[in-house]
Amino acid sequence: MTTLLEMSGVSVSFDGFRAINNLSIQFAKAELRAIIGPNGAGKTTFMDIITGKTKPDTGEVIWGPRNISLLGLSESAIAMQGIGRKFQKPTVFEAQTVRRNLALALKTPRGPFAVLRHSTTRPQQARIDEIATEIGLSDSLNRIAGELSHGQKQWLEIGMLLAQDPLLMLVDEPAAGMTVEEREKTTDILKRAAETRAVVVVEHDMEFVRRLNCKVTVLHEGAVLAEGSIEHVTSNPVVIDVYLGRAHA
Amino acid sequence: MRKSFIAQNPSVLWFLLALALFTLAVSVLSEATGSALISTSFVKTLGKTLCLCLVAIAMDVVWGYCGILSLGHFAFFGIGGYAIGMWLMYARTKGLVLQGLAGNPLPPTPQEVSDAIGNQIFGVVGSSQFPWIWGFADSLLLQLAMVVLVPGLLALVFGWLAFRSRVTGVYLSILTQAMTLALSLYLFQNDSGLRGNNGLSGLQNIPGFETTPQATISIVFFWASAFALGAGYLFFAWVLSGKMGSVVMGIRDNEARVRFLGYPVEGFKLFIFTITAIVAAIAGALYYPQAGIINPGEIAPIASIYLAVWVAIGGRGRLYGAVIGAAFVSLLSSWFTGGGAPAVNLGFYVIQWTDWWLVLLGVSFVAVTLFFPKGIGGLFDYLVRKP
Repeated sequence: MTTLLEMSGVSVSFDGFRAINNLSIQFAKAELRAIIGPNGAGKTTFMDIITGKTKPDTGEVIWGPRNISLLGLSESAIAMQGIGRKFQKPTVFEAQTVRRNLALALKTPRGPFAVLRHSTTRPQQARIDEIATEIGLSDSLNRIAGELSHGQKQWLEIGMLLAQDPLLMLVDEPAAGMTVEEREKTTDILKRAAETRAVVVVEHDMEFVRRLNCKVTVLHEGAVLAEGSIEHVTSNPVVIDVYLGRAHA
Repeated sequence: MRKSFIAQNPSVLWFLLALALFTLAVSVLSEATGSALISTSFVKTLGKTLCLCLVAIAMDVVWGYCGILSLGHFAFFGIGGYAIGMWLMYARTKGLVLQGLAGNPLPPTPQEVSDAIGNQIFGVVGSSQFPWIWGFADSLLLQLAMVVLVPGLLALVFGWLAFRSRVTGVYLSILTQAMTLALSLYLFQNDSGLRGNNGLSGLQNIPGFETTPQATISIVFFWASAFALGAGYLFFAWVLSGKMGSVVMGIRDNEARVRFLGYPVEGFKLFIFTITAIVAAIAGALYYPQAGIINPGEIAPIASIYLAVWVAIGGRGRLYGAVIGAAFVSLLSSWFTGGGAPAVNLGFYVIQWTDWWLVLLGVSFVAVTLFFPKGIGGLFDYLVRKP
């Protein structure tokens, strides 16, 4: 297995509260991984560290084939390295059309002057149409994103992630607020994406994780509690105790 | 399919058409080129209003589109005015000095000429030495370059420092206001090299056109202002029409999200802040020759706040909204404060509009913000219903 991202010995405290506690984790170039854990386990902070929003107190985050450290990079530079993120609460640009949202995410040069000169090419236009079909929004391309339903916004954000074409996708609760059918479709898209890249899904919903049928990492109090197949971790007594036990209590 | 720029932005065509018609109407009614139905001073007022519309567009781009509530754009406007004012004043004084010395038996040395000009310009602040900032004042071309370079560099450096430290929202507004206040206080000093609170005057007299009547000069400046407004409108509409517009509005609505898409947000903000500062300065350079005088009071923070009020009343986030707001409010303001509005006698109290105009403006601002967040420009949405 070739490693895409390796996080080692990372700790972060907020006002004395240790959100991440000596966390070490790694992802392969093409894999689907689910990260689960109770509230406050540090799932979102973990994503914040990778994407550069939060700087860790100690530890290292090593990225890519050239083993560069992500810690010195800005959020936008990290994104340009090929790390895309979908937020828990769907965050799309509500004042703009679906097409413009997708075009904004599309992999093109990001500097101000490049953007000023940019005009969308035919292949790019075709790619937008393709993604729109995949996320079921091809009829809504010219609608304002703010008018979309919650589920559609989720889709749009997944579409933006696809348009970005990152090497690592960090997906925070993609299935929240979706119907069973929509969940199935989301699972398909994520699985397909994971064939060529790393897809890391943070999820609360065990059913959804079961459907993803991938390696699972359980976070607890900012550290890895268990790792393995869903059967493996759900039969782990410690996991049952801290997470499932509490959830079913 | 990608439609043409005009097809995507029909409002640009309508705006340019309206501006052309307005320019034509004023030309036909003016003293120099038409029936003299409107006075030269009113032509100047209209020309100045067009310049205010231009700076309002710049303000709308930086605030309404990019979400940066700058309270410093009128300072850039003023810097543009000072930059052109220095040449106007220097060249005109030089002309007068040479005329005065022409009768001497010996031709004056360059030093004598320079001293005489210095005496004329800086006598009011008790000095005759040319400060270093007047180094280029002899050359129109260099001073025109200063109109663009000085505010451009100031905006670039200030913006770089502020955006790099991720100062946003109200803190950034306060910072820009502090910059404006510092600049105006500095200019108020007699040893600032710009004649302190006297400012620069006589700017309506264009060197080389001493014999041209003001009526002609006023209509030429009116045309230049109309052209600048049209060009500025077209420029910003073009900048914002494509992907740049998407990114800039994205920054306004959710800066962090744009960053996570890989766009260097600071660079975009700096770009918008700087180009709008330059356009504001160009507007100022056209405004002050029509006003005839510029002094540090023009740069005071209140002016930049008015600018924000115009844009809010006109409608943020649409260029024609800014134009409507600036034109409507500034003309109304001259009418009310210039004694045009009749005083209202309530029996127990007489409302003098010169005193009460600011209250009326303040109330309108609050009302627009609360009840019509889209401003006057928002009314056009009722006219043009989108499918």
